Amino acid sequence: MRKNLLIDRRTTLKGLGASLALPLLESMGWAEPGREKSYKPPVRLGFMYMPHGVIMDQFWPKSADSFLTEPPPALESLRPVLEHCLMMKGISGVPISPFNGAPHALELSTWLTAILPDADTRNRINIAISADQIAANYVGALTSLPSLELATMPQTHKENQEGLHEGYYSHCSFRSPTQALPAEINPRSALSRLFGKTDKSGELPKTDPLDRKMLDLVIGGARDLRRKLPRDDQHKLDEYLDSVRAVERRIAAIEHRQKEAALEKAGVSVSKRNAADSPPIEIKIPEGDRRSEYMQVMCDLNVLAFQTDTTRVSTYIGSTPNGVSYPELGFNDQHHSQTHHGNKDSEKIRKVAAITKFNIDQFAYMVKKMHSLKEGDGTLLDNCIMMWGSGLEDGNKHARENLPFIVAGKGGGSISSGRFLPDTKGNQGDLLTTLLACAGIPLDRPIGIATKQLPEIRG
Amino acid sequence: MTRSIQAKLLCSVLLCVTLSAASQGVAETPAEKEFTSRQDEARRSFREGVTPFVKAYCAKCHGDKRRRAGLNYLAALKNPGETTSSKHWKQALANVKAHDMPPEDEDKQPSEEERQKFLDWIGTLKFLSPKDPGLFVIRRLNKAEYGNTLNELLGVDPNIAQDLPDEVLGAGYLNTLSPLQSEQYLAIANAALDKALPLDSDQPSEVEKRLFGDPPVAGSDLRAAAERVARSMGRLAYRRPVSPSEQDVLMKIYDLARASALSHRASLRLMLKAVLVSPQFLFITPSGDSKPDGNIIPLDDHQLASRLSYFLWSTMPDSELSALADQGKLRDSEVLRGQVERLLNDPRSRALFDGFGAQWLGLVDLKTKTFDTAKFPQMTQAMRSAMYDEARLFFGSIVRGNRSIVRFVDADYTYLNQTLATLYGLEMSVTGSEMRQVRMVNPNRGGILGMPGILATTSFPNRTSPVNRGVWVLENVLGEHVPPAPPNVPALEKQNPKTIENLTLRQRTELHVQNPVCANCHKFLDPIGFGLENFDAIGRWRDQDDTGGPIDSSGELPGGKRFSSPKELKAIIAARKDGLARNLTERLLAYALGRPITGYDEIVVDDLMKTIAADDYRMQTLVSAIVSSYPFMNRRVR
Repeated sequence: MRKNLLIDRRTTLKGLGASLALPLLESMGWAEPGREKSYKPPVRLGFMYMPHGVIMDQFWPKSADSFLTEPPPALESLRPVLEHCLMMKGISGVPISPFNGAPHALELSTWLTAILPDADTRNRINIAISADQIAANYVGALTSLPSLELATMPQTHKENQEGLHEGYYSHCSFRSPTQALPAEINPRSALSRLFGKTDKSGELPKTDPLDRKMLDLVIGGARDLRRKLPRDDQHKLDEYLDSVRAVERRIAAIEHRQKEAALEKAGVSVSKRNAADSPPIEIKIPEGDRRSEYMQVMCDLNVLAFQTDTTRVSTYIGSTPNGVSYPELGFNDQHHSQTHHGNKDSEKIRKVAAITKFNIDQFAYMVKKMHSLKEGDGTLLDNCIMMWGSGLEDGNKHARENLPFIVAGKGGGSISSGRFLPDTKGNQGDLLTTLLACAGIPLDRPIGIATKQLPEIRG
Repeated sequence: MTRSIQAKLLCSVLLCVTLSAASQGVAETPAEKEFTSRQDEARRSFREGVTPFVKAYCAKCHGDKRRRAGLNYLAALKNPGETTSSKHWKQALANVKAHDMPPEDEDKQPSEEERQKFLDWIGTLKFLSPKDPGLFVIRRLNKAEYGNTLNELLGVDPNIAQDLPDEVLGAGYLNTLSPLQSEQYLAIANAALDKALPLDSDQPSEVEKRLFGDPPVAGSDLRAAAERVARSMGRLAYRRPVSPSEQDVLMKIYDLARASALSHRASLRLMLKAVLVSPQFLFITPSGDSKPDGNIIPLDDHQLASRLSYFLWSTMPDSELSALADQGKLRDSEVLRGQVERLLNDPRSRALFDGFGAQWLGLVDLKTKTFDTAKFPQMTQAMRSAMYDEARLFFGSIVRGNRSIVRFVDADYTYLNQTLATLYGLEMSVTGSEMRQVRMVNPNRGGILGMPGILATTSFPNRTSPVNRGVWVLENVLGEHVPPAPPNVPALEKQNPKTIENLTLRQRTELHVQNPVCANCHKFLDPIGFGLENFDAIGRWRDQDDTGGPIDSSGELPGGKRFSSPKELKAIIAARKDGLARNLTERLLAYALGRPITGYDEIVVDDLMKTIAADDYRMQTLVSAIVSSYPFMNRRVR
């Protein structure tokens, strides 16, 4: 296992459930570079999703050799950073039987779990902890937010194909087998709560120094209520109390940061960032309702969260399988309505290709921005593993034989990029297992249906 | 229809309270005897009818070895009355009835008689369910409830909660929060306090006076005053008396603030903030002092008050309801009925439409649904709002007027403003932006079947969908379960352009019936939708469809009732009072309980049906009956 974390696993795990008095940033290396020569920025892990698959002949590179010189049309916007991208063909999805009638609920909910929901309890959420949350369990305690979940539409689609719980249709992050994690869809509130910032000048969010102590008393005070409740009620209460504990911790981290910033400003202490690192990017919340701008501001938030080490794990559902349309592309059709094109309807094929490219363009926007930001000896992108993908290869037939993935970033040197691997043999669990390993996450078991790692990905 | 057969079988049965008496060894009343004999009969018919049918026709694919679609009917046979099994049976009912199952390519096919017997038997399976109010786990207030409760408590705009994530309402809700989102509760509490109790003002606001009482006089015991505020504020916000330890926690927060040199006022404010982020505020929690002994216990009075007011108002109980809970009077059936009427007649019962009615009628997505703007430039936000309000006011008129629920279908009035009146062709007589009641002279209009909002949400962005409308009528109005289309069926657009040249939408849709796989269901679905083809995709009347061909809105409902216009379709559906009422009852009960209807609930519904049929299917009678039903008044805790 690579040693890119300056804190041992035991310390990390200890930090997880407990409410921590002060942020860990200081004691854990990242915030204090220069103490030892071998210091490296941490590896960050990001996932970005698009539903319904791709138009295959516009997505897959012609050959390994032509990948860099003649990228496929769908990847045009990634051209400037292709050297930092890795593609592999041959990653199969989890077979979805017995849920054949629910391909879209499954393409999303299996995306980061690589496993099917439990068939006997399908009307509830019962699947598996997702790869992003496994990572958050390990590195989450090192940052003020364990993981970041973003989306661009409400996760309220109501459809119960194959009797599956609605939540499977719009969630891919699962905190535990029975807890679907909702995503933030409002960029303004994400900005304020993530960074204690607003996009309106002259307005500074307040942090009340008493809030943290007050929350501590509230959590302690619920103990008596908890004791009186039946077991199932206790579990519900615990979920809430756990999340309040996380809030308490975040307030501590923000306070600490504000204190540091004040000291720096007063000239009492020097910044702990590398002098050569790029300053934190500015976030501008778009005024209109253009989908590209909406998707991009969420990308910006993701970039800023990684750049400032506010979190090291993010999941961004670019769109859910239901109901997105792309008026900017000159048509109002909803994404899904165009995907059953029968390989004949050229108009629909054109539209699906345009939608796919549009989504990859937003991903390219994000990774190009990461590439433009200096960090340590390289760029922010060098220290990231950004996986873009869909839960289907071909939306027309719901095929899942060769799931489309693009991995951008070198993962701190763990990934050998700039390549297309046309004959990879593995499944989506193998890929997730490998990527988590590249990010330095120790796993006690493979993810979902994984049976192995994919060594060809590594550098 | 099976439904009506079932209803006839069951209508004579009296149930709820009787079972527990029987189990305690009390002598059986005639009603109990009847129930026991129903149970025996159900067991026998199960043994003789269902078991052999399942073994012969289902178990090969849905058994212990193969469990296609995740269904194991052999397992369900072992515990036929259990909740998990009852889902199996519901699915079987739908598929066997539609001739979807067994699949056509199976050699072994049941005769029509076998099929009908199986369906009838499934209708009696509910008698095998043990008496059970359903598992009741404490729940967090949903977004709307939370916003409304803050409004009630602090007088702030309920939209203050708008940044919280939306929940999937109804059968199941997601109860997890990401840390980023739980932080919103703190942010919202801060924002609400800034609005309601501004610190920068020397004069306490009205809300502050209400919550904190009069400012203490100089020299008085401030901590004793804080004790009193903690008790009354906790009682209000927790919707039940505070326990001594809860009181203690609130005082610790007061002391913490005082120790940090905050004023008495500011310290009470911090206490209030703590209340607002406490689980006792965000969850509806019991006030009982000890863990319950049994598995099934009655709701305590305060829980009942909360359940009632969140059901009908989506907000906390008001002072009258709270006082009745404090006095222990709420379980008195006359008192409870009086409260239901009072709550329904209060403007806050509008929440029942936003939370339930809009979902029942399928109008939740109306404001965001995509329409082909080139074809339907009328679909502005103003139009969508008017459509929503039409349904809301109409729903409210039936609730508050205590009208029969049959009026949902055959009312002769609706609510319009000028914008919406253009779709009715009434823009000359209805002017201005205000919605008002308008009597409908045209018998095709009035009632939910001719309501533009519903006709629009069941259409595609650019054309009507007779299939969607048919499904909507069968499922949302009559409560039938329509099995989903088999995978890989081509949509209409995919039909060979040569064969469909010069065909109207109806004629194209009728091609369904030529394909035997499709025909099973579509022969029921499509004709209902055809009956509404005179209404275009945004609900305007028309005599020709998009191809210019004349509209043929004649058809036939399952059971042989023929109709030739929306007016006649309405009349046929309105005559099926029992189906209408049962559907609405099941849906409203599920909403009231916050969970799907299963097993024993079916027996509860039978009982409710009897009560409301005896009072001409009146809406308030239905709501009252639900509120006093066994699963609403009791809970299973493990």
